[in-house]
Amino acid sequence: MSESSGNGGKWLDAHYDPVAGLFTFSPCVDLADLSGDGESRLVVGDLGSGSTGMKLKVFRGTALLSESTLLDLPAGLVAFFMDLHEPRIPAVAVASGPCVYVYKNLRPYFKFTLPGLEVNSLEQDVWQQAREGQIDPLTLKEMLESIRKKADVPLSMRSLRFLSLETDDMDDFVQLHKQQPIRRQTVITCIGTLKKSTADDDGVSCLVIGTESSDVYVLDPEAFVILSKMSLPAAPTMMDVTGQFDVEFRITVACRDGNIYVLRRELDKPKYCIKLSSHPVGLVRVGKNVMVGCTDESLQGFTQKGKKLWRTVLAAPITTMAAMDLPTRGFQAVLVGLANCEVQLYRDKNLLSTIKTPDVVTSICFGRYGREDGTLIMTTKGGGLMVKILKRTAVFDDRDGAPGPPLAQSVRLNVPKKTKLYVDQTLRERENGLAMHRAFQMDLSRMRLTAAKAYVKALESSLAPVSSSISEPLKMNAVVQGLGPSFKLTLNVQNTAACRPATNLAISFLYDEGLYRMRNPYMRIPLLVPGLVYPVETSVECTSDKGISDIIKVFVLHEGRSCPLLTAHINMPVSEGEMLN
Amino acid sequence: MGLLDKLSGWLGLKKKEVNVLCLGLDNSGKTTIINQLKPANAQAQDIVPTIGFNIEKFKNSSLSFTVFDMSGQSRYRNLWEHYYKESHAIIFVIDSGDKLRMVVAKEELDTLLSHEDIRGRKMPVLFYANKMDLRDAVSSVKVSQMLCLENIRDKPWHICASNAIRGEGLQEGLDWLQEQIAQ
Ligand SMILES: Nc1nc2c(ncn2[C@@H]2O[C@H](COP(=O)(O)OP(=O)(O)OP(=O)(O)O)[C@@H](O)[C@H]2O)c(=O)[nH]1
Ligand SMILES: [Mg+2]
Repeated sequence: MSESSGNGGKWLDAHYDPVAGLFTFSPCVDLADLSGDGESRLVVGDLGSGSTGMKLKVFRGTALLSESTLLDLPAGLVAFFMDLHEPRIPAVAVASGPCVYVYKNLRPYFKFTLPGLEVNSLEQDVWQQAREGQIDPLTLKEMLESIRKKADVPLSMRSLRFLSLETDDMDDFVQLHKQQPIRRQTVITCIGTLKKSTADDDGVSCLVIGTESSDVYVLDPEAFVILSKMSLPAAPTMMDVTGQFDVEFRITVACRDGNIYVLRRELDKPKYCIKLSSHPVGLVRVGKNVMVGCTDESLQGFTQKGKKLWRTVLAAPITTMAAMDLPTRGFQAVLVGLANCEVQLYRDKNLLSTIKTPDVVTSICFGRYGREDGTLIMTTKGGGLMVKILKRTAVFDDRDGAPGPPLAQSVRLNVPKKTKLYVDQTLRERENGLAMHRAFQMDLSRMRLTAAKAYVKALESSLAPVSSSISEPLKMNAVVQGLGPSFKLTLNVQNTAACRPATNLAISFLYDEGLYRMRNPYMRIPLLVPGLVYPVETSVECTSDKGISDIIKVFVLHEGRSCPLLTAHINMPVSEGEMLN
Repeated sequence: MGLLDKLSGWLGLKKKEVNVLCLGLDNSGKTTIINQLKPANAQAQDIVPTIGFNIEKFKNSSLSFTVFDMSGQSRYRNLWEHYYKESHAIIFVIDSGDKLRMVVAKEELDTLLSHEDIRGRKMPVLFYANKMDLRDAVSSVKVSQMLCLENIRDKPWHICASNAIRGEGLQEGLDWLQEQIAQ
């Protein structure tokens, strides 16, 4: 029970049962005061093994209080007030298959079934014929196959089942089912609640259900009749509902087409659409904004009108998301369960704290449990149940680890006042903007022309230290070493051709013989292998002691050609050696 | 305390004044316990969650108690520390049936014991492991384990199981407290 280091010092470990045998996901977990004694219970729709063992479980404190078998896999579970009776005890609605099962005092109370969908009339005719014995099962199969291929209204479950049967079983199936009318049912994919007319915590709520047939229904809490039906472009998967049915409401739905739609009162089509770059896996509303977790390991914030606010990248794929709402402290944030055994708390895009868990968390629920307002309930992949309680003294700091702009950025700089000169210049620039721009462009063009001319000249007279001739592409640079009066002159010559060696080259120097003396002003260069740098060294003696210097010109020549391949001008340094004496 | 006061104390003429702070989480039964300690004719019939705190006074053979019955609700828990200085003893009440919140009780106890107005003082602390009658209640030994009471070394402490509704176990604790204060 001692405080573990994985909580960032903010949470108390109240309970952990790694083998609680709870297999569920966030839509199937809720907290509610089911006995009206001020102590909230944990209600869980347990998926069991996926085909058996589906149960409705209720926990009180650390103990399992009750469990009852569910007939079908739960898709969602909500606790809601369905009437105004005292004591105020909420009912529990479990959505599974095409039905909503309502429990009151943990006993089955009512079952609502979604209206059947339109049945294909051709399909109906075919079964009618089968019932009257006009066609045999094989013909029935053929006809149903052809209907399935072209019909715009899909076949019923019964026909689909029939089509999947072996020939031997068909007869029995037809005998068994032919008398019953054909029905086509959709299934519920998500469920939520919407306050009817007051915003009170214990106000009567309508159920809001999303179906596989891409519809959203709002049900009256007392009579369970459909108050409103809205259509979406795709099947909804997650839903957030706010507002009041009689006043104004907003249903934010994440759909299987990877978009998020916002439904409003008195509109039967979505009002806004948020297009996501990857599929949503979590949808939580925080205040007026919607936070969406996506399969590309990102968390994104949107306004309720669908404007994107921010996006952060997470360390691992998201497993589940839930809101953390603590009205007594005015604190709202979102909890994100990650596949790397972490649960991270985000306020907007800022990471506030991280909880390390012993197993991957599959469902998160935050709220009042027992008598504690800030309780975090998590179930894990291995079926564990974990309860943590927020410390009374815990404070979440926005700057907690999240790198943001440095504080200095918001310090105002002491910008000096505008001077008269500045104002005059600005005025001048404003008035003569066009002329100034023209003058500038003109000068720019001139400069470019001059540069181009100089370049052409250099190329023509091979003045450049790089030879572009196709037969002998060469490069050269020169280094002068020494203080004087004798200098060492090193010329690094490189053949830049891809594979052809350069032969029959020579170097000669041109200099003022009154100033310099050179040991051998004409040198032959050996064969140049492509790519290698050949240093050619010679020494220069400065004969003057007047402290003047001059240029030495270097030419790389090709035997039998009068025009040099390259030219380089070496600015000789002033000889300091003589002056030192 | 003047010599005269002491003398009258010894002679039993003037009773010794003791301030007792009654702490613990909300719904642990603090008010119910204090109500039981009052004389029968002064007891309240129904008990509601305390808002802020209540002050109760009562006497026994040698002591005159002033009990601060604090509210245990989390939003009022920050009031507790304002009364640490004047108090001579602490009664800490635990709901033995609330296993989930044992960590919260421990957290509040640890904060209390490390507070600067409590830390170095040798004041007695009495623990009531209350609601022993509940079916899923844990024993007082288990409560003292869960709260790590063995770590309290600088103060005399005592834990007893109680049922505040029927008044069981309360006197034992009070006798211990009286003994400690008399020393
Ligand atoms: N079963 C049982 N119930 C008890 C016992 N002691 C108190 N209660 C009940 O627990 C509830 C809370 O008791 P209170 O005395 O108001 O608790 P408190 O600690 O004063 O609570 P706050 O004032 O909110 O801090 C009441 O309904 C009591 O009847 C007990 O020993 N056994
Ligand atoms: Mg009280």
